Amino acid sequence: MTTLYINEEEITVSAGTSILEACRSHGVDVPYFCYHPELSVAANCRMCLVEVEGWNKPAASCCTPVAEGMKIHTQTEAIKKDRQMVMEYLLINHPLDCPVCDEGGDCRLQDYAVAHGASHSRYVEAKRAATNHDLGPFVTTYMTRCIHCTRCVRFADEVAGTGDMGILNRSDHMSIAGIVEEACESELSGNLADICPVGALLDKPSHDVSRPWEMTHHQSTCTQCPNGCDINIESRGDEVMRIKPVEGSPEPWLCDRGRYVYDAFRSDNRILEPEVRQDGELLQATWDEAFDRAGDLLRGKRVGIIFSPYWSAEGLASIRLMRDAVFPDAKVAFDLHRRDMRPFAFEEGFSMTTQQIEDVEHVVILGSDLRQRLPLLMQRLRKRGNMGKPVSRIGAMNYRTNMSISSDAIIRPRDWPAVIARAMQQVSDLGQTAAGMDTWLAAVPDRHEAGKVLADSLMGETCALLVGEEIRSHVDAAALIHGLDLLMRACGHAEEGNDGRNLIPEGMNAQLLASAFGDIRTSAGDLFASASAGELDALVLIGSDPVGDGLFPSAAKAALSKVPLIQIGAIAGEIGNSAEVQLPAAAYSEVDGTFINMEGRIRVARQPIRSIGQARPLWKVMMRLAQALGADVPAVDMTELRDRMAAFAPELADVWKDKATEEVLVPVARNRDAEALPARLDSSFDLDVVSRYSMYREGMWARASDLLLAAGKLHALNDVIMHPETLAAKGLKEGEHTVRTFLGEHSCHIGVREDVSPGVLFVAKRGVAGDLSDVTAASIVGGQS
Amino acid sequence: MSALEQPQFSEARKAEIARLVTRYPGAQSALLPVLHMAQEDFGYLSMETQKLVAETLGVRLMAVREVVTFYTMFREQPTGQYLLEVCTNAGCMLNGADELVAHMCDALGIKVGETTPDGMFTVTEVECAGACGGAPVVQVNNVYHEKATPASMDELIAKARSEGGAA
Ligand code: SF4
Ligand code: SF4
Ligand code: FES
Repeated sequence: MTTLYINEEEITVSAGTSILEACRSHGVDVPYFCYHPELSVAANCRMCLVEVEGWNKPAASCCTPVAEGMKIHTQTEAIKKDRQMVMEYLLINHPLDCPVCDEGGDCRLQDYAVAHGASHSRYVEAKRAATNHDLGPFVTTYMTRCIHCTRCVRFADEVAGTGDMGILNRSDHMSIAGIVEEACESELSGNLADICPVGALLDKPSHDVSRPWEMTHHQSTCTQCPNGCDINIESRGDEVMRIKPVEGSPEPWLCDRGRYVYDAFRSDNRILEPEVRQDGELLQATWDEAFDRAGDLLRGKRVGIIFSPYWSAEGLASIRLMRDAVFPDAKVAFDLHRRDMRPFAFEEGFSMTTQQIEDVEHVVILGSDLRQRLPLLMQRLRKRGNMGKPVSRIGAMNYRTNMSISSDAIIRPRDWPAVIARAMQQVSDLGQTAAGMDTWLAAVPDRHEAGKVLADSLMGETCALLVGEEIRSHVDAAALIHGLDLLMRACGHAEEGNDGRNLIPEGMNAQLLASAFGDIRTSAGDLFASASAGELDALVLIGSDPVGDGLFPSAAKAALSKVPLIQIGAIAGEIGNSAEVQLPAAAYSEVDGTFINMEGRIRVARQPIRSIGQARPLWKVMMRLAQALGADVPAVDMTELRDRMAAFAPELADVWKDKATEEVLVPVARNRDAEALPARLDSSFDLDVVSRYSMYREGMWARASDLLLAAGKLHALNDVIMHPETLAAKGLKEGEHTVRTFLGEHSCHIGVREDVSPGVLFVAKRGVAGDLSDVTAASIVGGQS
Repeated sequence: MSALEQPQFSEARKAEIARLVTRYPGAQSALLPVLHMAQEDFGYLSMETQKLVAETLGVRLMAVREVVTFYTMFREQPTGQYLLEVCTNAGCMLNGADELVAHMCDALGIKVGETTPDGMFTVTEVECAGACGGAPVVQVNNVYHEKATPASMDELIAKARSEGGAA
């Protein structure tokens, strides 16, 4: 610790802290442009000058570490003069066009010019001209306003990992530039506008439409991925204008998916009022008419319920209450990516916080395109990488991570048992074992070399295992996860306080879903099969789109052609075309509600935006539905509902009672006795199908967002991809091919990439690949040679 | 080398670079010398050449671009076979560098920074060449010509022409 004096006041900070940080942490205001708490120090703007007693020139406080007994002054006449000069210098080339600048009203440069600048400039010469850049779909540039603080450059380098921005030329010709064709490659590009302290980099979608002071701010939680970032929704009236990160929350950034999905809130695709199908057409109806019709279709019927995990915890719990009240025998499904419904040794959710994952000795990613799946967790891993900490990976593709991976291997999904067995072998040869490991090992005849990558990562004191969708959606997932569980036990990474088992969930609220629906959940695929087989009379889809998402699109289509659909949700999507009744439920921006993220972190949103149209919070819709079907309403208000919910997750009650959310984490479900041995999977198909997740196209909200769809086009790969050698071995090459699966034959264009594992058919879930998502294996029958 | 061709380092160059890299704590530190080599091999640093350097050293293309654009001695455009760099800094200016540049440009029919249509000569102005004792100085490719005069430059140009471009 170091003790020093700031403006005569004695303070103590940890050694090595910069003067600026010491000031900031003690509420002393020092102006700065180039400093940013999340970025490396560049010290190039000189705005942060302070006076240090005994020094003969002012010190740049952002890059000067504190020293024992240092006496710092931030408000002397000399310093005020220095700041005035720095401001004058920074504004030399600035166009001074605040009235037409989006940043105006929320701009560091403007604020400081008022607070620290002089009212006029002595500079009368020509100003520098600058070229604007194409930085992708979300950032617009006005480079004349740039003050060369290089925050954007450091962001691209250190956070996005793309390094595609830089400073060209020097002195008066200096300019910030992006390598244009590559500049939009970051899934975090929206943060550039936030990070630029002036109006040089601006948010493109909200450009020229609103002013900072017109906004109302609503704090809420992003539900677009299990990370559940804190978001600040900025609205003008009822219209969402922007989504921004919340200062001081665990993640200072937002990904482009969470940030730009907002145009879906006002998309044409929203269900805004109750609708009922009449003579083949969906027509607006009153709530009563819609509930009557739903009642006719559902009363006394065998019903399958499929919902999405993005609802608030209250909404989800109300689904359970409604089901118990009116369809006590109904099975429900909420995970469109799970084929194996046996309990998993460790269920979906994290046992570590993202901070712990950043700090552990080793991180290993198994079968996940983490940059797409959890962009901000990927960002944390990149931060690790910048500090020289290892991250390893095994998967069906060398997914792009924008960081250097310390060791990796590409494998086919059918190799997973052999990979895990190889790792077990290695650790047990070193004398580390767990009860049951020998039996598991004996069930697998082969060993796959990729297992070394896994075993090596487990050797340290701490290790975070991030298990992704390739394993979660595997047909033999329970056995694989049991194997991984044994491995983690054997290596001491499954103990209280040092638990590295993390299964990346499908969506938000995984812990609550496990406890509230564990006993009645089934696979969505099974529900569709029952519907097609005449064992169900109706399907209720609550915010779920099994045709657009997940692994069962063709099964879902078949089922929907057999039984009527009651659709409840905020977005209609393509699937709305089959609905008999549509009931609008409010978007996540429009509810008072509780959300649990993958770490078990709880957030309660209390300042919702008013719903547009007639949408009501999901729990109210559920209660009305129960009533319409003749049941007693399980909960009449939020208090009653929350009382009932406490049974599913008692931690929630603590938070509602105002316990600090930092102190509570909802634990992940564990099934210690979920023993499953790998089955021998014989397949008459020689290719494994892996379906690719795209953050721009997955989920109803994303598909209803034109902004994300447009960005998705830029990021799209071919819909079906294979390793060139796998094709070459069949005497074929890139082009049109006929693919055979258990669903029949299917013709599609197959592109090639070296970074896909040989033997894998990599498919986008949408587009021409469409129905291929339903299958796990395929063969090529013929095509272009 | 035409700009469309993919530049490639020769095996000998690759070996030299590999040796050079071992002298620094990291490959990025070898960027300046490797850029000089690339410029020597390919005449100028096209985008393709910069990509080659980035790949060879395993550094980001942007890091290469930043260095190339920072230093004026790295050229992103092809030059004539003879690059005539006239120092116009204080010492040379006082000794007639400005008139010298004007004369050379007239003689060649080009402006400063341009290349003659036959691709033989490029004239540029540079900052202090560090040879003020011999001001004005003209650097012709890698050779200094001190106390240069319009006449000595005419002679040099004529000689180069008569050699038909054999630099
Ligand atoms: S564009 Fe903005 S962030 Fe980038 S250097 Fe200029 S002022 Fe800084
Ligand atoms: S990382 Fe996930 S939770 Fe955070 S903004 Fe992106 S989609 Fe939303
Ligand atoms: S903040 Fe210190 S120099 Fe920019």
